[in-house]
Amino acid sequence: MTKTLTVLGLESSCDDTAAAVVRHREGEAPEILSSVVAGQTALHADFGGVVPEIAARAHTEKLDLCVEEALSEAGLGLDELDAIAVTAGPGLIGGVLAGVMLAKGLAAGAGLPLIGVNHLAGHALTPRLTDEATFPYLMLLVSGGHCQFLLVKGTDDFTRLGGTIDDAPGEAFDKTAKLLALPQPGGPSVEAEARNGDPRRFALPRPLLDRPGCDMSFSGLKTALLRERDKLLERDGGLHVQDRADLCASFQAAVSDVLAEKSRRALAEYMTLSPVRPIFAVAGGVSANMTIRSALDTVSAEFGATFLAPPLKLCTDNAAMIAWGGIEAFRAGRRDDMTLQARPRWPLDQSAQPMLGSGKKGAKA
Amino acid sequence: MRTDPRIIAFDTSAAHCAAAVLVGDAIVAERRESMARGQAERLMPFLEEVLAEAGFGWRDLDALAVGVGPGNFTGIRIAVSAARGLALALGVPAFGVSTLEAQAEGIARPCLSLVDARRGMSYAQVLGAQDGPPVIVDDTAGLHPDLPRAPIADPATLTPTMARIAAARLATGAALARPAPLYVRAADAAPPRDPAPVILP
Repeated sequence: MTKTLTVLGLESSCDDTAAAVVRHREGEAPEILSSVVAGQTALHADFGGVVPEIAARAHTEKLDLCVEEALSEAGLGLDELDAIAVTAGPGLIGGVLAGVMLAKGLAAGAGLPLIGVNHLAGHALTPRLTDEATFPYLMLLVSGGHCQFLLVKGTDDFTRLGGTIDDAPGEAFDKTAKLLALPQPGGPSVEAEARNGDPRRFALPRPLLDRPGCDMSFSGLKTALLRERDKLLERDGGLHVQDRADLCASFQAAVSDVLAEKSRRALAEYMTLSPVRPIFAVAGGVSANMTIRSALDTVSAEFGATFLAPPLKLCTDNAAMIAWGGIEAFRAGRRDDMTLQARPRWPLDQSAQPMLGSGKKGAKA
Repeated sequence: MRTDPRIIAFDTSAAHCAAAVLVGDAIVAERRESMARGQAERLMPFLEEVLAEAGFGWRDLDALAVGVGPGNFTGIRIAVSAARGLALALGVPAFGVSTLEAQAEGIARPCLSLVDARRGMSYAQVLGAQDGPPVIVDDTAGLHPDLPRAPIADPATLTPTMARIAAARLATGAALARPAPLYVRAADAAPPRDPAPVILP
């Protein structure tokens, strides 16, 4: 099938409302015709984190506007599309539901096929959208809600090598910002502050480095940071700007060290597959952090692997990756019907032992 | 525009999927299914069945009406999101109709319309020449004793009325806002409890 495919993607699983149109002719580089992202940072600013009900409300009244904008930027009507792809999970269920129902309405009204895409698969397949990466490649998915190493062997073939057993690093960045009176989202504000700081001043823990494997833990790091902060508050009655910068730099160094060392182990395992063109790719909002990016790049070079970090706007949540995931699924023959379910939890590697969450709701990761 | 516009109205604001199809002045199909959950999976096939009963496809419609609540937050988002997607794809208007308004249809104005908000609360709205804002109250006994009250209806039974209200609005030809959920209740969210530290130079 050498047909050209043009797919509309919808994303609403966290706090970004997004729509995009991607076109792909087999054998050629995919083309992002439009990618609209409407963030909700201001809506959640007062609450120190994403409030699910506020997010769901915003998605419900914004997503169709994003779709119109994405279509108009692409210069296309719905009748010129081949399918509608939508994030069907995992994520905050209110937002996922709003996206899935809008997609169903669009697909039914326009008579187009509907494809539910796993949000994590969207991130994990992004190196194929941006750099035409060939299987198998190693992926570190690191964001506000997720942190895992994946061996990507096919469009629907993911093996998890390890992941966080508690918080995701993005969450730790946000909490750090909150503890240090820095603005949300924490990633960029902690990184900016860290530039003026001494990464060796505070000895923060590097959890699980003493254990084999690729699993990680970040919740202890946050507690250690809180303890150091409280010591300073007690001593000075407040937090000096320089101390804050040093805390940020020390925190960022700890995250970076853990990710780099665990990447080393994941790369060693990946290289046993003898990939012809070894690739280590990152995705997720935390991969926007330049200190972390350069640490991962260095580790990748140790193994002779090409390091792929998509442009920032394709690292964070977006709908182009969902449209692309839809194109990959469409080519593999997958279609969903109008009973498509929105899923709060949907692990990519269905065979792996659950690491987080269990019981009735199923594994989170 | 057709003289006998075809309109589908649907509602998932509580434990049901409900829909009605209006052609001109006549309701040609109406269905209700009770369900505690699963509306998101059931709604579109359900609507297609109701449309088929009326002998239509999606593209035969001139407008949509959707129940916007107040009610179950997730439930009203399910219907409103589907309606906005359908409206965009079909190029027809979607009209949001509240339960407060639909159950008061045909009642002399001004009147008071009430909907159970659970936890001992009620949604209340004064409907008149100019509608008052919908509010949430814990005591309805002493509320506007001077006004007649609209009989409280199960929103699942209101889709024929919602379709008729939409037909009336369609006839005016006025441009209207897209349907949006009528939450009335604010989102449950509290600012963080730990105060941020004082920053010193």
